[in-house]
Amino acid sequence: MPEPRRLVLCVDDEAVGLLVRKMILERAGYKVLTAQDGATGLEVFAEEPIEAVVLDYAMPGMDGGQVAACMRARKPQVPILLLSAYLALPSDVTRHVDVYMTKGEGAPMFLEKLNGLFSTVST
Amino acid sequence: MNLRQLNRILLQTLLVPVVALFFVAGVLALQIRKAEISVAHMQAASDNITAAARVSALTVDEETGIRGYQLTANEIFLQPYGLAQAPLGQALHDLRDGLARQGIDPRTVDDFVLAHDTWRVAYAEPIIQATRNGTDTRDTGLNLRAKAQMDHVRSLITRIIQLEQTQRNETIRTWRRQVRQTLQILVILAVVIGLAIGITARNRLHAVSDAFQNTLEEVRHNAQLIYESEQRLRTMLTSIGDGIIVCDRFGKVELLNTVAEQLTGWRHTEAVNEPIDKIFHLVNEATRESVEAPAASFPQLPPSLNDTRNNPLANHPILIRRNGTEIPIQESEAPITDRAGKVAGVVIVFRDITEQRRSQTTLLATEKLAVAGRLAATLAHEIHNPLDSVSNLLYLMQSDPKPEDMTQFLDLASKELDRVAQISRAMLGMYRESKEPVAIDVQEMLDSILLLLDRQLRHAQVSLHTEFEPGALITGYPAELRQVFINLLTNAADASTSGSRIELRTEICAERRWNARTPDLPPRPAGVAITISDNGEGIADDILPKLFQPFFTTKGEQGTGLGLWVSQGIVQKHGGTIAINSSTDTKGHGTMVTVFLPRGEAVLA
Repeated sequence: MPEPRRLVLCVDDEAVGLLVRKMILERAGYKVLTAQDGATGLEVFAEEPIEAVVLDYAMPGMDGGQVAACMRARKPQVPILLLSAYLALPSDVTRHVDVYMTKGEGAPMFLEKLNGLFSTVST
Repeated sequence: MNLRQLNRILLQTLLVPVVALFFVAGVLALQIRKAEISVAHMQAASDNITAAARVSALTVDEETGIRGYQLTANEIFLQPYGLAQAPLGQALHDLRDGLARQGIDPRTVDDFVLAHDTWRVAYAEPIIQATRNGTDTRDTGLNLRAKAQMDHVRSLITRIIQLEQTQRNETIRTWRRQVRQTLQILVILAVVIGLAIGITARNRLHAVSDAFQNTLEEVRHNAQLIYESEQRLRTMLTSIGDGIIVCDRFGKVELLNTVAEQLTGWRHTEAVNEPIDKIFHLVNEATRESVEAPAASFPQLPPSLNDTRNNPLANHPILIRRNGTEIPIQESEAPITDRAGKVAGVVIVFRDITEQRRSQTTLLATEKLAVAGRLAATLAHEIHNPLDSVSNLLYLMQSDPKPEDMTQFLDLASKELDRVAQISRAMLGMYRESKEPVAIDVQEMLDSILLLLDRQLRHAQVSLHTEFEPGALITGYPAELRQVFINLLTNAADASTSGSRIELRTEICAERRWNARTPDLPPRPAGVAITISDNGEGIADDILPKLFQPFFTTKGEQGTGLGLWVSQGIVQKHGGTIAINSSTDTKGHGTMVTVFLPRGEAVLA
């Protein structure tokens, strides 16, 4: 369990998916902020001391790739995990994120990859 | 030579003999007139001779009477003398008139009268008186003198007679000469006129004959030109790659070109004069009903706005060949009109579209796959997202099961699985192929499509406004029609900018018959009109006509260019129409697609 509790921002247009993901992360010991679209996500990202971002790729308006590019431009040190239902995403999308995974790989894998981001950062 | 010239020549040819005959008649009349004058002269001479002879005879009677009385002293013998007096005067008078009429000096008659009077007074009257008195009258001297006087009298009358005879003979000679002359003139005229008529007629007829010859050559030349032109057209017809049948206005075949022979299985020579129905037997692809021969009914109806000719998916006729095999064809007819504008026949042009069909089937499959592919990408999200949530919920329940959370978790998982089931049901309906057309509730069909497209529309940030008239039923193939509306709604979404709105409406339409007041509106059966409107940029006028062409796309790599072409084909196959109205005005830009589908046999279940 990481100490102190890290602040994670989850962005996803799917309300149920977002809610469940928030619960998983909170149980794993993270503090979680949520946004249902890219624009809101960027606002929260700018205002709060976000330590990691979990982004959904397919969203109305800005997609995950665009949101990641903006976040990178603003706070390049914050790690980003991109989730998608697509198996393969173009490289100009994935190059702005640290980890990319497909939905359905399961919660343990998700938590493991997210945790891995902090170990990368801390080292 | 024209007809006027020909008439003039004929008139000339006729006039020459007529004029010649008139001339001959004139000459003859003149000659006859002359002859008549001669005959009159002869008559006059004869009359004068007769009168003179009578004078001579009466003179003899007088002398005879005197002599008899002188000898016998009997009054009876003197009678001839007395009786001759009156006729003698009359005869002399006639003779004088006759001579005067002949233009001969009448004084010879006066001389005679004087000599006769002298004889009568000097000798006859005294002898008569002496005899009555009984005096001897045999005095030789007196009688000799009397005789001499009488001889003188006789010689005078004889001279007149001779003169007249000479005159008459002269006249007869003149008359004979005239007759001879007339004959000569007639012969000469006959020869001259005959020659003239002959030469003139020959000249004139020669001109006619030349003209006739020229006309004949012209006709022959024209016939040659027509023959060549016909040969050229025939060669063109036979070498054209499409089948061509020409028939007359009674629907009897006049010509089959080589391709038509191959396609129908009939040889040109066998097909000629056969009814078109027999040679070119068509049936409707879907209903198998015979299609009426084109020649039998000419298009009198207003032209259909929905020309199926170029869309391979629309119904096409099937040609039943002579050997019973069938080939799908594409055909068109054109009437042949005569100078008066009446229909004199029909030209039917047709082609075998079997190969075209085959490649079109491939194209259709391509488009179907493209639609399926695009849908699959959307559906991956639709299914993946709830599955991911359920998987996460299961993880939560397994890793730290708290009874107070369980109900909420189960509820969420159940809802997410319901979504998956709903989508999978819609998906199944999507590709359930139907062999026969079935009754379709339009609202139900559109709802299931919207369910699949919901995410796509949300992503495009387009709001959808629906207005469905309940009970809208049509007959058709659901899978194909879904493809049409997915295509049209996807187009609308692609054209829309974020924040704009798409309207989807259905409207039940009653049957529309052809109306003279609105001749542009073609008749159509009862059905449903489905309208999809967007507020996109609109479609430029120069692009509008190309929209239904295959491989035309405005989406670059993203589109196959087959969507609207396939959609049109499917709609037309259903007996419906598809129309696109668009405006690029800065104020009211947008596009409206209207699909009309007939209700057909569908009834409320």
